[in-house]
Amino acid sequence: MGNRITIDPITRIEGHLKIEVEVENGKVKDAWCSGQMFRGIEIMLKGRDPRDAHHFVQRSCGVCTYVHALSSVRAVEDACKITIPDNARLVRNLIHGAQFQHDHIVHFYHLHALDWVDIVSALSADPKKAEALSANTSGRPQKSDYFKSVQDKLKAFVGSGQLGPFNNGYWGHSAYKLPPEANLMATSHYLEALQLQAKAAKMHAIFGGKNPHPQFLVVGGVTSVGDLTVERIKEFEDIWKETKDFVDNVYLPDLLAVASFYKDWGAIGGNNSSFLCYGDFANDSAEKNKLMPSGFIRNKMPVEEMTTDKVTEDVTKGWYEKGDAKHPFQGETKPIQGEVTYNTDKQYTWLKAPRYDGLAAEVGPLARVLVAYGKNAPGVQALVDSTLKKLGVGVEALFSTLGRTAARGLETKIIGDSMGGWLESLKANIAKGDKKTYQSWTMPKTGKGFGLNDVPRGALGHWIEIADGKIKNYQYVVPSTWNFGPADAKGNKGPVEKALIGTPIADASKPLEVLRTIHSYDPCIACAVHVIDPHTNETYKVSVI
Amino acid sequence: MLTPLYKLRATIDGCPYCFTGDKMAEKIMVLGVGNILYSDDGFGIRVVEKLESEQIFPDNVTVVDGGVLGVNLLGVISGADRLIVVDTILNHGKPGDIHRLEGDAIPNRILGKNSMHQVDLLEALSLCRLMGSVPQTVIIGVEPQDIETLNPELTPAIARQVDIVAKMVIQELDKLALKTL
Repeated sequence: MGNRITIDPITRIEGHLKIEVEVENGKVKDAWCSGQMFRGIEIMLKGRDPRDAHHFVQRSCGVCTYVHALSSVRAVEDACKITIPDNARLVRNLIHGAQFQHDHIVHFYHLHALDWVDIVSALSADPKKAEALSANTSGRPQKSDYFKSVQDKLKAFVGSGQLGPFNNGYWGHSAYKLPPEANLMATSHYLEALQLQAKAAKMHAIFGGKNPHPQFLVVGGVTSVGDLTVERIKEFEDIWKETKDFVDNVYLPDLLAVASFYKDWGAIGGNNSSFLCYGDFANDSAEKNKLMPSGFIRNKMPVEEMTTDKVTEDVTKGWYEKGDAKHPFQGETKPIQGEVTYNTDKQYTWLKAPRYDGLAAEVGPLARVLVAYGKNAPGVQALVDSTLKKLGVGVEALFSTLGRTAARGLETKIIGDSMGGWLESLKANIAKGDKKTYQSWTMPKTGKGFGLNDVPRGALGHWIEIADGKIKNYQYVVPSTWNFGPADAKGNKGPVEKALIGTPIADASKPLEVLRTIHSYDPCIACAVHVIDPHTNETYKVSVI
Repeated sequence: MLTPLYKLRATIDGCPYCFTGDKMAEKIMVLGVGNILYSDDGFGIRVVEKLESEQIFPDNVTVVDGGVLGVNLLGVISGADRLIVVDTILNHGKPGDIHRLEGDAIPNRILGKNSMHQVDLLEALSLCRLMGSVPQTVIIGVEPQDIETLNPELTPAIARQVDIVAKMVIQELDKLALKTL
């Protein structure tokens, strides 16, 4: 047996993730993902008023507050057969789009970039060479004085000893491939992105009333009536334009510049062949036509239409009472009683194993871009093809850690560009006197429904059953469960478990390469790495950003 | 009911305590953090909910329900000059004990705490430093009894401290108001 590297949980927010990999001959031989916290919120929701569900579910994740509220509200709307007004659809699209712009920029620069960018190396960069690099790659070239000032700031920060986010990085690791100037350019944009994301977050507050926990969603529409004014829309539009400019001229050029040094990662971290999207961003009130279409890719075959009837959850490897794989409407949350034991041969996680037609499916940016590409969604093929061409890699490179990270950047642009059209539609509606944002409705005695949503991390679904006007059953299947879920009854592993197999590891005490793939899925957690070497009995503990 | 002082400040024109409309006034943020689904972990949120429902604050004071957003709170806090955080704090005390941390005490005392959103908050503060604008921070917190059970209610002993800590927040604001005059 090789070394086992464990990535331990240290957060109480949803996710609470532990990942263990077995390393043999410098490569990952096997991998297990374990959700370390039981999420019993479904039990808590039973017997409550369906209109209140979204207030609870938006607290179940530390990062994705709005998207859970949106799925919940949609599930109740489906159960109660409510069609929301056009303005409500547009406002929801705009807020959801703003969430993608914010989250993906933060992910690339603040949660993922330091897996590829060596901050310490940036200290030794030549600012003049950085200027030349910037002139060649950036849509917004910057001068050597600017790079010098960033370098000085960074030196002062490192010198203060308060490293914060840069603490415990694997600086100097042999897997870092960028020249010092590229590291300096990326680090400069890390700082710019901090400023930008603080602004981008304000888009939520304009129609959302309140950030970070928006209060504008109600079953039947939105309550942002007071914000449907020319001035408020202009405020939103100004931040959107600034964000779009950053995506076009900084984020995407940086993505290409960094990726060009890591083309080998176009063949690592991509063992998955099935992908699922629920789709999102409806272009019409009937929600038939979506900017990011729904679909299922089975073993890299052409895209099939997706139906939620084929979604099941398997509990074979979870700490749950034994039972058959069940559709969420029949879903149960019955934890085994007493202490649980982590055993990768038996049960090892609180996550259930979601399956589509019996198959493990990756969800998230890569799934969405592949499905949109396969369904020939407007503009997607041209953008993907030109990106692959610029990098000089083939289409197979999409199925990888690099492809996943690139897909996230590309969809940021696809969604961001579309926000302009929704703003124009909203303005046109208001100009003609249509300010309706809410459809009144009455609670039925009984009802069943589901709310689908494709959120920054992937396909999210909430299922609700109403009896006597109260919640009888509530289940949700979240993106991290799809991606980080365990093996099923047939022994088929979850997407991240599979993706990690084969990853080269230069140094088991610094498993930077494993983190690259884990972070490419954007888990909403911070991790500590805990490495156990059974041969030397040495234990390494390293905090990870 | 808490003191209605802030209502007066926000509404009376020419009041010497009133800093509405003063664009130069320091931006003060009251930030509650925690998870309302886990009993006493929701303490910080319950305090800011109480403050929001009973007080009207002047324009330069923002009250924020930060939930468990951690580092994503950066966008919210980076604009503040002063930050008053309300949270649960594990500090080897009895449930219900109230702690007030300020300045150098913050990193050392909090690092030992078994709470991720707290560490994330510190990380957010350190990123603020990198952006060149760190708010001066005070953390007021209660020692919790139960942060494990999935229950949207505080335990009775901790629920009793909500009023007291809400008053402490008002006192902090009073101190800051005097400083700015």
